[in-house]
Amino acid sequence: MKNNIIKTLAITAIPIAGLLAGCSKNFLEVDPQGQTTEVLALTDPDAANKLVGGVYSTLYYGGFDKTTVGFLWVLANDIASDDADKGSTPGDFGAAGEIDNFTHTSNNFIFNNIWSGHFSAIISANKAIDVLNKGSLEQSVKNRLIGEARFLRGLYYFNLVRFFGGVPKITTAPLASEGSSDALQTRATAAEIYALIIEDLQFAADNLPLKGDAASQVGRATKGAAQSYLAKVYLYQKNWQKAFELSQAVITSGRYSLVPDYNAIFREKPVNGVGGNNNSESIFEVQTGVNLGENAVSPLFSNGQGPRGRGGWNDLGFGFNTPTIDLANAYETGDTRRNATIIFINPTVAGNSTGTVLWDGFRLPSKDSVENERYNYKAYHSNIAESAQVSNNKDTKPKNIRLMRYAELLLIYAEAAAMTNNAGEATAKLNLVRSRSNLPPSVGTQANIWKERRTELGMEQDRFLDLVRQGRAGAVLRAHGKAFVDGKHEVFPIPQAQIDLSAGRLKQNPGY
Amino acid sequence: MNHFLKGLIQSSLKTTISTFAVFLLFFPISLMARQAPVTGTVTGAGGTPVNAASVTVKGTSRGTSTNAAGKFTITVAPSDTLVVTAVGFQNLEVPVGTQTDLTVSLAASNRELEQVIVVGYGTQRRRDLTGSVASVSGSELSRQPVLTATQAVQGKVAGVQVISSGDPNALPVIRIRGTGTMLAGANPLYVVDGVISDDIRNINSADITSMDILKDASATAIYGMRAANGVILITTKRGRAGKMVVSYDATLGVKEATKLVNMAGAKQYAGYVNEASVYYGSGDSIVTAATLASGGNTDWYNEILKKGFFQNHNVSVAGGSDKVNYFLSAGYLSDEGIIRTNDFKRLTIRNNNDYKITNNFKISTLLSYSRSTVRNVDLGAFNVAYRAAPYVIAKQNGKYGNTSLSNNVGNPILDQDKNDNSGKGDRFQGNVVGEYKPITWLTLRSSFGVDKNNFRSISYGYKYANVGPDNVFLTSGSNQLRDKSSLTVTESEGNRWVWDNTATAAKRFGDHNLTLLAGITAEDIRTRSIGGSRVDVPQDKDQWYLNAGSTIGARNFNDGDRSTRNSYLSRLNYNYKDKYFLTGTIRADASSRLPANNRWGYFPSVGAGWVLSNEGFMGDQKTFNNLKLRASYGKVGNDGIPSNLFVPLATVNLPYFFNGQEVLNLRLEELADPSLKWEVTREVNVGLDFSLIKNRLSGTVDFYDRKTSDALVRINIPAILGDPNNEYITNAATFTNKGVEVALNWQDRIGSDWRYNLGVNLAYNRNRIEKLNGGQALSSGSVGGQGFTTKSDNGQPIGSFFLWEVEGIFQTEAEVASSAQPGAKPGDLRYRDINKDKVINADDRVYQGSYQPNITYGINGGLSFKALDLSFGGYGTGGGKIYNGKKAARGDFRDNIETSVVNNRWTPGNTNTNVPRANLNELPASTYFLEKGDFFRINNLTVGYTLPRRLLDKFSMQSLRVFATAQNLATFTSYSGFTPEINNGGTLDGGIELAIYPTTRTFAFGVNVGF
Repeated sequence: MKNNIIKTLAITAIPIAGLLAGCSKNFLEVDPQGQTTEVLALTDPDAANKLVGGVYSTLYYGGFDKTTVGFLWVLANDIASDDADKGSTPGDFGAAGEIDNFTHTSNNFIFNNIWSGHFSAIISANKAIDVLNKGSLEQSVKNRLIGEARFLRGLYYFNLVRFFGGVPKITTAPLASEGSSDALQTRATAAEIYALIIEDLQFAADNLPLKGDAASQVGRATKGAAQSYLAKVYLYQKNWQKAFELSQAVITSGRYSLVPDYNAIFREKPVNGVGGNNNSESIFEVQTGVNLGENAVSPLFSNGQGPRGRGGWNDLGFGFNTPTIDLANAYETGDTRRNATIIFINPTVAGNSTGTVLWDGFRLPSKDSVENERYNYKAYHSNIAESAQVSNNKDTKPKNIRLMRYAELLLIYAEAAAMTNNAGEATAKLNLVRSRSNLPPSVGTQANIWKERRTELGMEQDRFLDLVRQGRAGAVLRAHGKAFVDGKHEVFPIPQAQIDLSAGRLKQNPGY
Repeated sequence: MNHFLKGLIQSSLKTTISTFAVFLLFFPISLMARQAPVTGTVTGAGGTPVNAASVTVKGTSRGTSTNAAGKFTITVAPSDTLVVTAVGFQNLEVPVGTQTDLTVSLAASNRELEQVIVVGYGTQRRRDLTGSVASVSGSELSRQPVLTATQAVQGKVAGVQVISSGDPNALPVIRIRGTGTMLAGANPLYVVDGVISDDIRNINSADITSMDILKDASATAIYGMRAANGVILITTKRGRAGKMVVSYDATLGVKEATKLVNMAGAKQYAGYVNEASVYYGSGDSIVTAATLASGGNTDWYNEILKKGFFQNHNVSVAGGSDKVNYFLSAGYLSDEGIIRTNDFKRLTIRNNNDYKITNNFKISTLLSYSRSTVRNVDLGAFNVAYRAAPYVIAKQNGKYGNTSLSNNVGNPILDQDKNDNSGKGDRFQGNVVGEYKPITWLTLRSSFGVDKNNFRSISYGYKYANVGPDNVFLTSGSNQLRDKSSLTVTESEGNRWVWDNTATAAKRFGDHNLTLLAGITAEDIRTRSIGGSRVDVPQDKDQWYLNAGSTIGARNFNDGDRSTRNSYLSRLNYNYKDKYFLTGTIRADASSRLPANNRWGYFPSVGAGWVLSNEGFMGDQKTFNNLKLRASYGKVGNDGIPSNLFVPLATVNLPYFFNGQEVLNLRLEELADPSLKWEVTREVNVGLDFSLIKNRLSGTVDFYDRKTSDALVRINIPAILGDPNNEYITNAATFTNKGVEVALNWQDRIGSDWRYNLGVNLAYNRNRIEKLNGGQALSSGSVGGQGFTTKSDNGQPIGSFFLWEVEGIFQTEAEVASSAQPGAKPGDLRYRDINKDKVINADDRVYQGSYQPNITYGINGGLSFKALDLSFGGYGTGGGKIYNGKKAARGDFRDNIETSVVNNRWTPGNTNTNVPRANLNELPASTYFLEKGDFFRINNLTVGYTLPRRLLDKFSMQSLRVFATAQNLATFTSYSGFTPEINNGGTLDGGIELAIYPTTRTFAFGVNVGF
């Protein structure tokens, strides 16, 4: 009997021992299959470079989702201004309609998506900077990469501070548990954010190569891009001297020149050897392209603003962000920019309607088959003459977004010059811009430069924020028929959802 | 190894196991003296031998069991007393005395109480249970012409809600005692012959001996880790020693839709939409007289549906000898469903063998293979057929009607013809068990189970044009077309192994009866899939390979998942004098799905039973034949979450273009909860079992209170944290399910020819979200352009409808003027302005109840007269709500409407109605679309006739029964849609009828033959 028991134990032990031995050392430690964990990702020797690339890819945030410089940012800025109306059919997309009419509230999801997109991008920049700082890359490479990340962070904070006013100042990658801490959820003042932006852009200006230098690549931020944005920041700060110096540095670098044909600036390919993507005038531009995933684009940027049909033809888009008649009338006679900025839909004429023939030969029908009267030509991407995704998906047209052009830099320089009593330089650079558009010379006063900014940068998301900077948003927009309230509408409301999630720590802007 | 040892050391079970080992080592061993071999025969009623009866020497551990002839041999002393026990018989003690050849005649016991219940890693007699366990016999399950056994259990067990589907290949949705989770899986755990499974569509109901459903935490805690939703144990058939039994069963029948919704005909439709245009639109006719005259009058449901053929054949061979028992079966089921082009076929083969190597060592193999072939259909066709304009001709002279021109929906029959979405599955499930009994009271068992599941799906979309010479439409143009053929091929593979090792000691010490189980198990689950898609693949089926397609736009994918589990378990059953019962279990579970710091979960339970009817003070009463009180408490877990929820993943392969070249980049942005833990359910159960009137009436009543805490819930997090979707999943919420279950059974006979039985069961459950603890109230159930329709928030049942409440219909302009809807017109729905702010907006939504029924009930009965038999089953639910999604998703003003909407619509002449005026726009989400989901259905009615023996002899048949059966014969419900059973598996959006395969009705006949 005793033997039996020993046998029993032996037999019990065998399967259990077998079970234990059969299992590998870490039977319960199972890594995700075919998915990269953060830990694994950081073992990649190229991780730092890729992390900075990951920050660039936040420039693609778009569609109706969170965004940085994509579709909803475009709509909010252009529609709020006197440049554009909401467009599409009257009932379509009420959230954008609210902004058009200045009836927007803090519950409008567009604001939440702009807030979320920018902060998500900022956090990815912070993570990249953190990893770079801890890493052991060669100092110049490290500084260049950190410079690129800080350039983008500066650009994003610049958007945020102009759009919302002061926002939480976050320069680290916080843990989830810190989400509702006072430190993170208290809005910094606009001045504090501006200080951070200047610090970031200055670091970038100091550490990035010039366009065309060996260390530079098309699409990456350059010294010129950092200096241009810094000049623009100083313009908003009314630090005319700094704005002048920085824009002057960009001019004297000699790396940029105006594209002689304004039409060619917004094309994918050069026209008669000028213009196209990343042309001589391009200082910073969102790089898009055709790839298998069809995801190297800013979704809906082009299609969302494309001409919308009323049936009967295969239309080009959703028809949002339609240029106003006010913008069309803002151009002087003979200004070549008018027809390069606005697609005009021709009226239906009994018997013989020609419609509108676009630069690529595509013929839009006349008004009876088209929803709106005008569309944004600068967002147009040709189905026929320019690259298309394999699936031909209209929502993912590879349209580069021109974020900073040399023409704008010249106007920043001109305004800074005008404000530092350098009328000669102001007039010279203003007329450089005007003459490209077939316009007679003018005098470089601040008022003339402001007027020039509108027509030169029409439908490029500058007008509303520029009007606020100029301090005449209320006067201009009320004259345009908008319910703009001074002291309130200069900034947009902090998203209510974010205030709720901060347990009330985020304070709302006045008037909302 | 390290982790196992660590686990052992950390685990309190370690103590249990070592105690058990010590217990084995030092157990006192009786000395034996003056003994001689004695033989005997154990018989039951009528002198039939009783196989596998246990014969032990009272007060010792010595014993043996009888063979197939009821014979046993045991060495005893004359002073010993033998205790003879056998399943289905009352225990008997026989003093040996001078006898050397004993004949022991056992009296049958109360059958139900002696029924052997599979309880997980062992069995128990029903009378010994302290938890809530329900059983259904295999013969009850296989009687119904349905695919899965769980479908057949509908209405038979109190507290088990089975939501069926008409889809031939559906796995019914099962909810045991309500919904206890929002984001982890809500389905019960299936255990087939001891092997854990999550899909039982490979199991042929004809192969099932019994299905046992563990409901309360005391019963389920032995399966701790995923027991929170209940456990369904399936035991398949084995051979028995004796004559070979060959049987054949066949069922053939026809399936059809149980109920159709009557849609408006062409003229009625035109009248309605034109009236709406006059009232709300331009006034122009939307459908002109000319259009009507040139069109048809199509009933689209007629076009997309069919009557499907159903057949099921099973053949089996069972038998055995002293050494080997075998069971071999093959089954073939085909079911065409009720939707055109739908088809399903399943072949199953099972071989269960037991090999008795020595008297105390047995090996069993339980092997099954199933092959299924399915052609799936797009259930969206149900919605499309609802919407498609009736004046469009479906198909004529080989050309299809163009519904995209009429109202922007695809022609559903063209869609059916031009898509071929087929799949083929091969599944092998097997289990090898070794069982060693070194001494009579100890059983060592090791079981290794594997489940290999391969599935290949091929989806082909035929190319077709809408213009030009190859135009397939009667009228060309618009947007239904496919200019390139497309092919998607996916091969997926699931592999699982489970290794269980248990030791069970069962011993009686005088009046004390003790069973102790201890075990260790490990499990590994892997899935992987690989596939790709191509366009421009030739339409010949022999060309449906990826290589036959164009390389332009080619896509390939390959992914996988793996998780592992390791557990220690133990159970103690104790009873004293068969009066007092105690069950204690504990299971320690570790799951790779949880982070190392929270990986181990400990799930204890305790249950007690008191058989009052065995007490002396009950001795004189004649009312109760059995009266037993049970109480239990237990804690169980749920790890039914995705594998890597706690691991922060990098976002990889993010493209950006530098120097015109695509570069793939990386972001670290995902926030995960690094301390994710088990969802834990605690349950108290109090129950009463009784039988009365000479066991004719028996019944069970249970009260339970289940509380799930640390339930996973999404938490919105501030955008400044940078998480991609600004939310993360953590343990926060608390839910409760409280309820009562009652089951009563009556069985009796009248004279010698009539027998009958009747069973009713009823369950009440109340589900509630007690606390979200900072979690987000989850909105779900999006319908068309209406947005979400449900919201799961504090104090409400999970998946509650959250809608505007319709107060009535505006009758006059004056009513409109004084209302919160200034833009409305007479005939429009008037919504309740809850906060009286004169605006109807999101703040006026109100909770309107949930899809979850609070009452489920069943009624089952049988009647036999001589060779005739009749059985029926019915099932019903009450208190659940259904959102009529098809009606609500009428998004285009040219969409068709139901006949009843047209007939009852508000007009100045028909003001006493609750149907609004003819309208153009999609109506907002409101109670107008919410209906009661209550129903009662006659699930099954079967009439059979068993042929007299004398007729069979010449065909050498043992038995022959012919039968006719009707499944889902009649449904009684006020719900206006296709089916009150919404099988979409959702916990948050369970009651929305959209793209649902409605329950079908089957009429069939068949034979059962035994050779």
